Amino acid sequence: MKRLLVIEDGTEYSEFARLFLGDGFVVASAFSAAEALAQLAGGGADALLIDLRFDRAPRELLFGDVRETAARLFAGDQPRALRYLQDQQGTLILAALRAAGHTQPAVFVHDFPPRRLENLRRLYGRVAAVPAFDAAAIRAAFEARP
Amino acid sequence: MARALFGFAALVTALAACGARDAQSPAEHWARAESLWRERSPAAFRAWQALSPQSDEGRRAHERLTLAEQHYLRGIALLRDGQPGSREALLDGVAQAPMDPALYLPLARACRSRALPLRAAEFYRKYLQQGGTEPAARAELAQLDAPLGDIFDPAPPATASPPSTTPLLAVIAGGTLVLLALISGATIWSRRRARRSLVELAAASPELHPALAYLIGCLRHELLKHRILAVGDAVRALAAGTPQPGQRAFLLARLFSGEPLRVAWAGHLGTFMRALGPRFDLVRTDRGFREAGRAVGELASLEVAFARGDADAPMRLQRAYERLRAFDRALGAFAAGLVQTPVDAALLREVVEAVRAEYAAGQVPLDEVQIADVPAGVAVEVYRLDLTLILKNLTRNAILAVGRGAAPRRIALDVRVDLEPTGEEIVRVRVRDSSPEPLSPSALTGRAQDRGLGIVTTALDRYDGCLELLPAADGFEKGVAVRLFRALGDEPAPPLGAVA
Repeated sequence: MKRLLVIEDGTEYSEFARLFLGDGFVVASAFSAAEALAQLAGGGADALLIDLRFDRAPRELLFGDVRETAARLFAGDQPRALRYLQDQQGTLILAALRAAGHTQPAVFVHDFPPRRLENLRRLYGRVAAVPAFDAAAIRAAFEARP
Repeated sequence: MARALFGFAALVTALAACGARDAQSPAEHWARAESLWRERSPAAFRAWQALSPQSDEGRRAHERLTLAEQHYLRGIALLRDGQPGSREALLDGVAQAPMDPALYLPLARACRSRALPLRAAEFYRKYLQQGGTEPAARAELAQLDAPLGDIFDPAPPATASPPSTTPLLAVIAGGTLVLLALISGATIWSRRRARRSLVELAAASPELHPALAYLIGCLRHELLKHRILAVGDAVRALAAGTPQPGQRAFLLARLFSGEPLRVAWAGHLGTFMRALGPRFDLVRTDRGFREAGRAVGELASLEVAFARGDADAPMRLQRAYERLRAFDRALGAFAAGLVQTPVDAALLREVVEAVRAEYAAGQVPLDEVQIADVPAGVAVEVYRLDLTLILKNLTRNAILAVGRGAAPRRIALDVRVDLEPTGEEIVRVRVRDSSPEPLSPSALTGRAQDRGLGIVTTALDRYDGCLELLPAADGFEKGVAVRLFRALGDEPAPPLGAVA
């Protein structure tokens, strides 16, 4: 059995993965970049299923510097920077995992515009996205070759 | 054109209401006036006013006009003073009777004072289109958007009076014919407008694009994605008769526990209606939403069918699910294409030319205006009117600043695109100048509405954009960049009704 690490701010993805992908994967969960890094350093994983929005995650668990993001993108507006980090957290966690050398295929359940998905692949290698919770599509995305 | 027709129709309506009063009963007059109001026709106020107070209907209409005016005035005053309750007061007025077009001006000014420049421009425009003659209104509109102000300046010539030798009866007969033609046309047009699909509404009202994109995003994320589309595998397994343990429970929990689906759907539709106005009941006006509503109703009704063990429940579930999946895809493609403005050299040239056409900025002798090549195919998710308003403000500031200094007076506009770790792309439209006048960062974040940058900052907030102060470089003393996200969607929006 392959090992799937689900990274999200709730339990919906892992609940779905255990029910519909459980015949092909052993599912583990992480709720932040730090937890995901720890799990990958410990036992590893063959694939990553990542939520994009972490709007339920507390600020201290978010990956990314609110102040730096505010200064760089939002003219110093920290509440907007915090929202941005929450809304885009999944991609930022993936950036952290790739920076640490973890190159497993990653799948998002999100309908990214084609150009954005292309950008994510340029940045992070094996990245796919499926527009809805669809086990067959997610399996196919994990197996697709770059 | 349509508005002009309405304006003329309003006059003719009023004339006809006076001249032909004897030909119709008060009840018929009232029915027509009320119909105009229900259709939100600009002619409604005058039609109500023209009702004879001698009749029961007319007396009640005049009482309601008086009451409505009190609500409207209170709402405008509360809005102007930044007090809560303005929306409620205005809605109370709307519930009573049409608004006097003369109130568009104070309403526009109240919007302007509350940092709502687009709303303000809309009401200034309505005021002028309805024949408002206050000269300051044109100037105030021009401050918000000079080209828009120019449309009403000079004022259109007054309609010529009929020759005095024309017999009154012929005028009334001719007027009645014109009236009938105009009312018929206006009624058809108005009904069509009231029955616009979401696609038609978006095409006709670009100022609604940000709100539409947000509302669609909420509907897709909260209801379609997490409650309905999440059960796709269970739906297919049930339809195939091979559900795994737990899949059925997962499906039933997602679909039928918590807030009932019909209530959740109605909640989202209500949000659309509150944002777009009560006439835009999407279930009635948009085929895609109508079909989706039926599919949601079908899903909701299946709770009982599953509890009873109806044999056809899995297939009915699959059909409803597939319809909603197609609806979600169509919504996604539609929302992606809503708010996109190409950022190219033509736009930058248009901005510079528009500012140079203004009196003050046109007096400044410029030694150099650089409009650099911009990367091809760049678009941002900002309504074009807003983007030009923002860039014109920055360009105007730059030209006036160099005008206060010595030659050489130079300005430059260009565009930079940078990739973010999120896969998004940042677009920076830079306006730089050779003026040594300092510009503080706080000037860029201030909200004072008597300053152009306050308007710019307010407009940018809605698009998740901001202003950035640029240091001296390339022979320019300073610059300001508009930071926006690049629009990455490239699929044209299909008609929603064609897929659900």
